[in-house]
Parts: sequence; structure tokens; C-alpha cells
Amino acid sequence: MSYTLIGRVESRLVSALPALAVALALQRWWAIELVALMLGIGLALDVLVYDRFIDYQPGWAALPLGALELALVYGAMRWSSVAAPLRWALVLYAVAWLSAQVFAHAVLPRVRLEYAEAGGELGRRGALTAVAVTAVVLGGLGAAYAVRPPTVHLHGTIQGPLVIRHAQTLVGGVVKGGILIRADHVTLRNVTVVGGEDGIDVLDSHHVMLDNVRVVGVSLDGIHVRRSSVMIDDCKITSPNGPWVQGIDISFSMDKDMSMVDGCTIVGVREGIVTHMTMVDVTNNHIGATSLRGITMGEMSMGAIRHNDVLGAHGVGIICLDHSECEIEHNTVVGTRRDPEGDESRAGVAIEAHFFARAEVRHNTVVASPGGIAAFDGSTLTR
Amino acid sequence: MRCAIVGSGLAALAAYATLRHGGVAPEEIAVFGTHEDPTAVWRTRAAAIRQQRMRSESDGHLAPAAFPGLAVRDALRRGSPAPLARSVVNRYHPRVEDFLDHASALRERSGWDRSLRVRRVERVRAVDGGFAIDGDGPFRHVLLATGHPGLARPDVYPTAVHAYEPHEYAQKVAVVGAGMAAATEWLNALSAGAEVVSIRRREPLRRPLNVPRPYFSKRGLSTYHAASPEQRAATLRELSNASYPAGGDWDEPLRLAEAEGRFRVEPSPNGSQQVIAATGFKRGFRHDALLVDLVDEHDLPTHDRWIELDADSTVAALTDEARTLSIAGVAGQWAFPAADTIAGAKYAARAFRRRVCRTR
Repeated sequence: MSYTLIGRVESRLVSALPALAVALALQRWWAIELVALMLGIGLALDVLVYDRFIDYQPGWAALPLGALELALVYGAMRWSSVAAPLRWALVLYAVAWLSAQVFAHAVLPRVRLEYAEAGGELGRRGALTAVAVTAVVLGGLGAAYAVRPPTVHLHGTIQGPLVIRHAQTLVGGVVKGGILIRADHVTLRNVTVVGGEDGIDVLDSHHVMLDNVRVVGVSLDGIHVRRSSVMIDDCKITSPNGPWVQGIDISFSMDKDMSMVDGCTIVGVREGIVTHMTMVDVTNNHIGATSLRGITMGEMSMGAIRHNDVLGAHGVGIICLDHSECEIEHNTVVGTRRDPEGDESRAGVAIEAHFFARAEVRHNTVVASPGGIAAFDGSTLTR
Repeated sequence: MRCAIVGSGLAALAAYATLRHGGVAPEEIAVFGTHEDPTAVWRTRAAAIRQQRMRSESDGHLAPAAFPGLAVRDALRRGSPAPLARSVVNRYHPRVEDFLDHASALRERSGWDRSLRVRRVERVRAVDGGFAIDGDGPFRHVLLATGHPGLARPDVYPTAVHAYEPHEYAQKVAVVGAGMAAATEWLNALSAGAEVVSIRRREPLRRPLNVPRPYFSKRGLSTYHAASPEQRAATLRELSNASYPAGGDWDEPLRLAEAEGRFRVEPSPNGSQQVIAATGFKRGFRHDALLVDLVDEHDLPTHDRWIELDADSTVAALTDEARTLSIAGVAGQWAFPAADTIAGAKYAARAFRRRVCRTR
């Protein structure tokens, strides 16, 4: 078909109706933002590229042009931090692409007999529909902007404990005495917590993001998560205040969205990362000099333990415990020490499955850990 | 009676079906023509050149809406996605038989026979309240779809049989022309075992459709409509040069025959027992008595061999808020360069429908 510029723009806007309907039905801001991104990029291509260089667009061109736009939308989504789950984002894009094809080849030629000869222009009704689509998308974006969580910049040292009960983004600063999060959609970025029992306490909260946080000198857990879903990225937990401190403890969240711990450095605590009854991925962390285990995935937890370094753990380096199901791959475990007070299951075991746990173990590097890789008490190790 | 269509061929059926789609009742439309079956003339010509496939694509049918096209219908009938896949890459050309079956079904469904008055129209006149057609009327809105004004026969070959007339093939055949009909005749004669001499004034253009694709939409048409009459006529002359599609289906048999010495280009028949004139149709409204009479009587503006029309295929001098005179088919090229195609017929039909429905 040979589109005019107006035809391209009107056709694109009207064809976005199904994707917009899906986005509204999802009742998620990211969906509206994603539709806006798709339309924005598409319209920019229409004006700057397609109209100038494509005199006639055959049906097959929908495939390469669709792939190009998908790549650009994905890049823009990452760049602009639109928090869309990838699978849903792809579903929404597929809906938009398919509806564009159905509209261009079936619906619009059926509704407007002159569609092809008018170069895709839709007449008065079409133009009104296109304006309505634009208004809804812009309105949605405006609403998303208006209700977005506020960003609070902390400067200097704040005397805590700090209690967060509303969605917000907290950036920078030092908080003494810990932070308690009791709200969804909270982000802590570049925040340092000093002292207190738990450094960061997350209770009954979802979509919580801890990005580049530091926790120093706490007496219980560095990061303590209960009945919540969190993403922890690039954290540092050091200098514990006492012998019972755990680095990160995520527990009792099996019915919540999956959590993730990635890129953290945890040194000198009793256990590095501990999970109970939680779905979680533990990846790319560096855990050293723990007085007990490095990583524990326990009590029916499920998840992956990948690309972690565990140095100098006491008794066991990485353990999949108590009916848990773990994928333990590409980890490096070095210098796991034998616990003189324990049995064989604590005899410097680098990677262990214990008490009816099931672990798939592949491509790990084990150095100077006398217990090697082992299973105990009805557990299964698959290599 | 509100509307009249003068002509009873494919363009007339397209216009009739489009009006019916717009909600105009059969009793409000009179169709004047010489054939009960709107496909009769075209069918005879297609059969004469043994045409199997249409040059047009999936949307090359006479129904008012482009969707569902013939590829969709073909896919549903055969239970195969192959026609759709070919359509996506512009390689679907409907079978002539399917096109005609669809046209026949449309004729039946639209109520064509209830509106048809079988007779030849000699004269159309603007009168108070519309137009008189050989004394009948007045009709407020009239569309002229009189078709090609006759076969073009080269004077230098008075005994030639025209490609669009029934014929067989001699042992050695000369084919005059270089368009779609000529190319079809080359292949027909070769497959009948004949030796073929191609006589042509210029090398044929290779393009998928009669005119470049942008001319089928506003993208190309807006520039065309904005051009001066001289530029527009020059464009039409250039576009009327003979052409046929590129592709191995055409080239391979010719290459093979050339290698065997059974196909060659020569300036004269060179002893051929039969000359086939694949030279198309007479060009220009001056070959159509009805149009000549209309132009002369109302002193309508013309340019070279074309009647000047507005972009919506109407004759401006005889069209206003209360009445419409439109021209479809080959005589409507001033508005739409590919007016003699199915797309052209529908272009004029849709514009006509807009006017008819607006002034209901």
C-alpha cells in the first residue's frame, strides 16, 4: 500500500486501539507508558523514515519493520526505565503489531471503502478516533506522571529509625538506626544505613527495590524481608555488630512475586544470604568470611544460585536445605572450613543438599573445601 | 429514479455494487447497457487470449470493500494459507475463473438484473433536475461507464486478427504489440507449437501493474492532480506505453524458445502465416460516439484525447450540489491514470457513491 504521511499517522493511531484497551484493562501504569512508547517511536519513524523512503509498502514489510520497532521500543523501555515485565511487554507489543495488520488489511478497508486509494487516510471519523487515542494515551501518561511516587533526596545523616508507609523513592544519605518499609513500590537508591537491629526491614510490601544500598554495623539482619517481594541490586553489608548477624534474610514469601539478590558483597556476618519458603534468585554475589554458611536456600524455597563467590565459609559454603529445590550453577566456592563440632554434613562441604532437598549442580568451581559436593538425609543431587 | 449508470460492463457492475453497498435501492438505479451479463465482453476477450490469471492482485475484484479479497476467499475455499502467503509478497494473481465467479455472485447478490434496461444509449443531455438519457429521466446522478471504444487495429496489417477476437495459431505467427496481451499471445502461440515473430515499436516496460503502485493511492495521485494539463497529459502518455509483469513465468519460456530459434524480434512478419494484433484498444474519447456528442453539445473542456475531469472523476461543468456526471473506465483517466483497471472502476464508483449518498 502507498501511504500518505497523514494516512500512516491516522492508521497507526487507530490501530493502537486494541493495545490501548489491553493496557487499560491491565490497570498498570507501565502498560500505558509502553503503548505511549510504541506510538511515539512509530510516529517518529513514520515522519522521519517511512514517509520519506517508502513509496509503496508491501505486506511482507510488516515483518522487518515490526522487528525494527520492537528493538527500538525495547531499547527505549530500558533507557527510560519503564518497569514493564518483559513477558507482558512482549505480549502487549504482539497485540499492537497483530492489530495493526488486521486493521490495515481487513478492518479499515472494510469500514472505509476508500482506505487504500486515500493512502490510509481515514476521513473525519478516523481522524476523530485518532485524536481520541492520542488523548487517552496522553491522559494516561499525565495521570501516571501525576501519581508517580515522589522522590526524596536525603542529605547528610538522618537519625532513624525511618519508617516508610507510602510509595516513594529515597535517594542518597545516611540513616542511623535502620529503615522499616511497610509500603509497595518503594525504592531505596544509594542509601547507607548505619546501626540498629535490622538495617533495612521490609514487611508485607511488594515491588520494593533496594539499589546500591550499604548496611553497616547492625546487630540482627542487614536486610530483613518478610512476606514481601524485593529486588536487591549491588548492596554491601559489612562490619556486623555482634556474632548473630545475617547478611540478607528473605523468608515466608512463597506466595509473593519472585525476589532477587544480585551483585551484593557481604562480609564477616554469620550467614551471608538466607531464604525460607521463598522463590528467589541469588546471583553474582560475593560472600566472604562468614562464621557459618555462605548461602542457604532453605525450608521449601525455590530458585537459582548462580555465579556467586563464597570464600571462607564455616562448615558449608552453599546449602539447599529442607525440601527446597535449587539450581546451583557456575559458583566458585573457596576455602570452606570444617566445623570441628559438626558431623560430615559440616565437614567443609562446598555445596550441599540436605534433608529431602533437590539440587541441580552444574559447572561450579570448588577449591580447598574438603567436604566437596555432597547430599545428606534423603536429598538429591543432580549433576 | 435517482441514479443512472450508462454501460453494462465491469466498471458498471462495480459502480452498481458500490451504490447498493451505500444503501441505494435497486429501484433508485437504472443501468443502461447492451449486455445482460456484465462480464460478457471482458470474458470473451480474456478467453480469446486464453488468459488464466489476472494481472491484478487479491483486491482485484468488483465488490465494494477490498476485504475480504480473492486471496482470502481462495484460502478459505482450499483450506490453505498459501494464497495469503503469496498475497503478502505480491505474488498472488487470482484465476480468471475465480474472478468471474465472484463477479457473477456479486451480480446476483446486488440485484443488478432488477435495475438493468438492455438498450444502447445514444445521447446524454444535461437538463433541469439532472440528465436525460435518450429522453428518459431526468436522473440527478449519472455515471458513464461506456468502456473501451473499440479494438485498435494496425493499418499496415489489414488482415490481422485481433488478440481479443477468437483465433487459433498458425505454424508461424507474428504478434504485433508489446503489452500484457502480446506477452500472453507469445506464450500461447509457443505452447501451441508455433514459431513466433514479435513486432514491436519499443522494448516493453516490465511492471507488476498497469501503472506504478503509488498512482493507485493519494500518495501518487495528489502530485498528478496538482500538475498542469500538459504535465498530466504527458504522464498519461508515458503510462500508456505497453508493459507486462517481470518474472520467470514470462521470461523462461521466451528464453527457451529463443534458444530453439522459435522466438525472435523482427521489424516485419517475415513470412508469418498469421498476424495477431495485440495492440489493445482505440485511444481517446473521440472514438466514443456518446462521449463525443456529450462533449460537443455541452462544450466540455478536453485536453488532447482526454476529457478533463475533477479529481473525483466528475465533469465539473455539469456537476453541482444537485447533480452529478461522473465518468468511469478508460475515459476517466484524467482523474485516475489506471482508470481502465478494476481499481480505477472502483475509484470512480466510490466517488460517485459519496455524491449520491450526500445528496440523498
